[in-house]
Amino acid sequence: MKNTGQLSRRQMLSAAGFVGLAALTGCGSGGDGGDTKDLSKKQNGAMKEYRVGQQFKASKPISFSILHNNNPVYPMKENWIFWKELTQRTGITLKPIAVPLSDYEKKRSVLIGAGDAPFLIPKTYHPSEVAFVSSGAILPVSEYVHLMPNFQDKVRKWKLEPELDSIRQSDGKYYLLPGLHEKVKSGYSLSLRTDVLGKLGLNLPTTWDEVYDVFKAIKAEHPDLYPFSDRWSTNTPFPAAALLSYLGQAHGVKAGWTYDNISFDTKAGEFVFTGATDGYRQVVEYLRKLVAERLMDPESFTQTDDEAVQKLLGQKSFAISANPQELVQNYRYNLEKQVKGAKIEMVPVPLGPAGPVVMGGARLENGVMISTKALKSDTFVAMMQFVDWLWYSDEGQRFAKWGVQGTTYTYSGSQYKLEPGISLMGSDPDAPKDLQKDYGFFNGVFTYGGSWALVSSSFSPDEKRFQDAMAQRKQLPIDPAHPLQSVEQEQASLWDTPLRDHVTQNMLKFVLGKRPLSEWGDYVTELKAKNMDRLVGLHNKARERFKKENG
Amino acid sequence: MVKLLTARVPRPRTSVHQPTRGYRVFQGVNGVILTLVVLVTLYPFVNIIARSFSGERQIRAGEVTLWPKGFNLTTYKIVFRDSMFWRNYGNTVLYTVVSTVIAMVLTTCYAYVLSKRNLKGRGVLVGVAVFTMFFTGGLIPNYVLVTSLGLKNSVWAIALPNAVSVFNLLVMKAFFESLPIELEEAAEIDGLSTYGILLRIALPLSKAVIATMILFYSVSFWNSWFSAYLYMDRTELMPATVYLRNLISGATTGGNAGAGTDQLSQVGANIQAVTIVLTALPILCVYPFVQRYFVSGVTLGAVKG
Repeated sequence: MKNTGQLSRRQMLSAAGFVGLAALTGCGSGGDGGDTKDLSKKQNGAMKEYRVGQQFKASKPISFSILHNNNPVYPMKENWIFWKELTQRTGITLKPIAVPLSDYEKKRSVLIGAGDAPFLIPKTYHPSEVAFVSSGAILPVSEYVHLMPNFQDKVRKWKLEPELDSIRQSDGKYYLLPGLHEKVKSGYSLSLRTDVLGKLGLNLPTTWDEVYDVFKAIKAEHPDLYPFSDRWSTNTPFPAAALLSYLGQAHGVKAGWTYDNISFDTKAGEFVFTGATDGYRQVVEYLRKLVAERLMDPESFTQTDDEAVQKLLGQKSFAISANPQELVQNYRYNLEKQVKGAKIEMVPVPLGPAGPVVMGGARLENGVMISTKALKSDTFVAMMQFVDWLWYSDEGQRFAKWGVQGTTYTYSGSQYKLEPGISLMGSDPDAPKDLQKDYGFFNGVFTYGGSWALVSSSFSPDEKRFQDAMAQRKQLPIDPAHPLQSVEQEQASLWDTPLRDHVTQNMLKFVLGKRPLSEWGDYVTELKAKNMDRLVGLHNKARERFKKENG
Repeated sequence: MVKLLTARVPRPRTSVHQPTRGYRVFQGVNGVILTLVVLVTLYPFVNIIARSFSGERQIRAGEVTLWPKGFNLTTYKIVFRDSMFWRNYGNTVLYTVVSTVIAMVLTTCYAYVLSKRNLKGRGVLVGVAVFTMFFTGGLIPNYVLVTSLGLKNSVWAIALPNAVSVFNLLVMKAFFESLPIELEEAAEIDGLSTYGILLRIALPLSKAVIATMILFYSVSFWNSWFSAYLYMDRTELMPATVYLRNLISGATTGGNAGAGTDQLSQVGANIQAVTIVLTALPILCVYPFVQRYFVSGVTLGAVKG
């Protein structure tokens, strides 16, 4: 008797709970509405005539909220000259919401999901904006780029249309204002101990065959050591992610952290499955050769970055993947202190069967999403003009990167020089001030992309050499646009992950010798069982459709 | 925590039972295993402390294990000078104290009420609490709720939603239930009101469980970062845990996208170590003193007689 009474009360209680929940979640999605096309009532503070080369200045003081990715290397401060100077020049005050870099993506999702997102949401890497498209919380910015003369100018001048097509959704619109690069900026390559090479009478390798020979020679001298021990295997979904990406590039395939299940075969004129291509097989075979002949440390695929670097500094290995910053600030800096006469250099990505090429599509950077709420504000046009000026005009980009001429930097003979007493990423260890930490410039939230002159203005001599060599190379064509519709997208993501996991696991098995390469055929059959062909078909269909609908 | 507990299980007194040979062997083996476990648990602590006094280069080269290499205090000086760290540290203290006080008042009252068997609707009250153990509204509804109540960017956003931990509530309830009802009846006859009974009879007899709950709550509030991260929009409102988390995971996941090389600059390993030591220190210092309550508090209420 008593029991049943309690039960019914509990039922009532849980029912009440569910009703409450439903009410709450229901509130989440705010109503749409407002005239989206007519911008005449949203001109508050906007400039009547705003053109390329013109300083944006709001006709009255306005402020916009912005999500700010708070980098622990230069934690956000309210007294940064950046904020003050920005307001002075443009009349716009930014109201940042500081989010720790460690969990930026999560908070972004919560804020957007709760309808509480700020107007400007920068530091968004494609394709993470796709998740928000169906919710309608993010503005299809491609509809409004006519308000952004600098953006349009750079797209035209640098012929970025094909790149922009690659981020379009199935409705033909894109939802992210990406950073634009004039030229591809290469990030990663192999670095080697040149003093060790010198002792053996070897030159820096320029092709992957030479890399093999060099490792072989080092191995002959140090039979009990692995010449090459690599990093960037943890904190990324792919083992040896950097190595695979630039080794893959030399073979013309997307691998490592550039890996994508789908890639376009220009010869066949259709999409194919990346993990089953010949190029991918060659990459795997090459790595197998290195591991089998004990030229490459098998732990490369599992160890942490610190462990890999410790092996390098402890002279247990002589080569490691690098980017220019790690090369200078970490490897070289620590090696010179630790090992007498040690020298380390980063080579331009060694050449492979694909010849002197770089991956296409790398000219887009992370970018800014704009909250749909912003469209309802009467200052919408002013905001778009402001975004255009700060992120896309030459002047705005220079300001965000180098700061105020005469205060933080001087410019002469196409060289930017920091004022004495200001350091940037350790350029002057004794300087009392730091461009990022104390002034708020060179901030990853505002500084990326731009003309080659501006991008290369902050290169160290090493990076300059590396980038100049890489800039000579031909860009591989970009995959044609093939946006999926939302139902297809859901289907594709169900197939995508198991396939990707299978490719990664088997790459490791092949490379580490746990599975003989003679079983490659079986591996491809397994991929087929995991819907490889259907996934490829889906993308080819999407491409046909996009071509038909958009010319 | 578990190890300390196990290590403190009282041994049978030798004067009563003569230990058998098997028991002595068992003790020996037990001692060895537990010592190993203690060493394994202690090693990371010692290592972090050693790192905090070491030079950046020695840490990077993997030379630091148990003893500092390249001993220096500069890192401590650098961290001590960082005003944002201290600001966040102050926040941690504030949030912990306020949240623990609120949580203790609410949990004690709730648990005391639930321990009264003659209370009408007791089942519903228990149900309400237990329901939240199994179902939550989810992240976004919670966020919407806290935001529309206007709690964002204040200590209440941290203190109120986490004020009653159902587990703690049930432990306390079990403890109050074990208090002899005759005591309260006697107090009632002597003229004490319900509140008087709670304040002057029940609570003074419950010091052990209260100390345990204070420890539980304050440790969890001290270590928590998620609600602060979610509901605070300004760096100066964050607790030290968020500062620390950003410092460590933010700085080491640099290469994930392969693109933004500008984010790859790293925070020194020694700075990370110093921050970890400073953040963990207060809890480590408090623990030994509260621990004896902790052991008795958790086991009390478990066995009723």
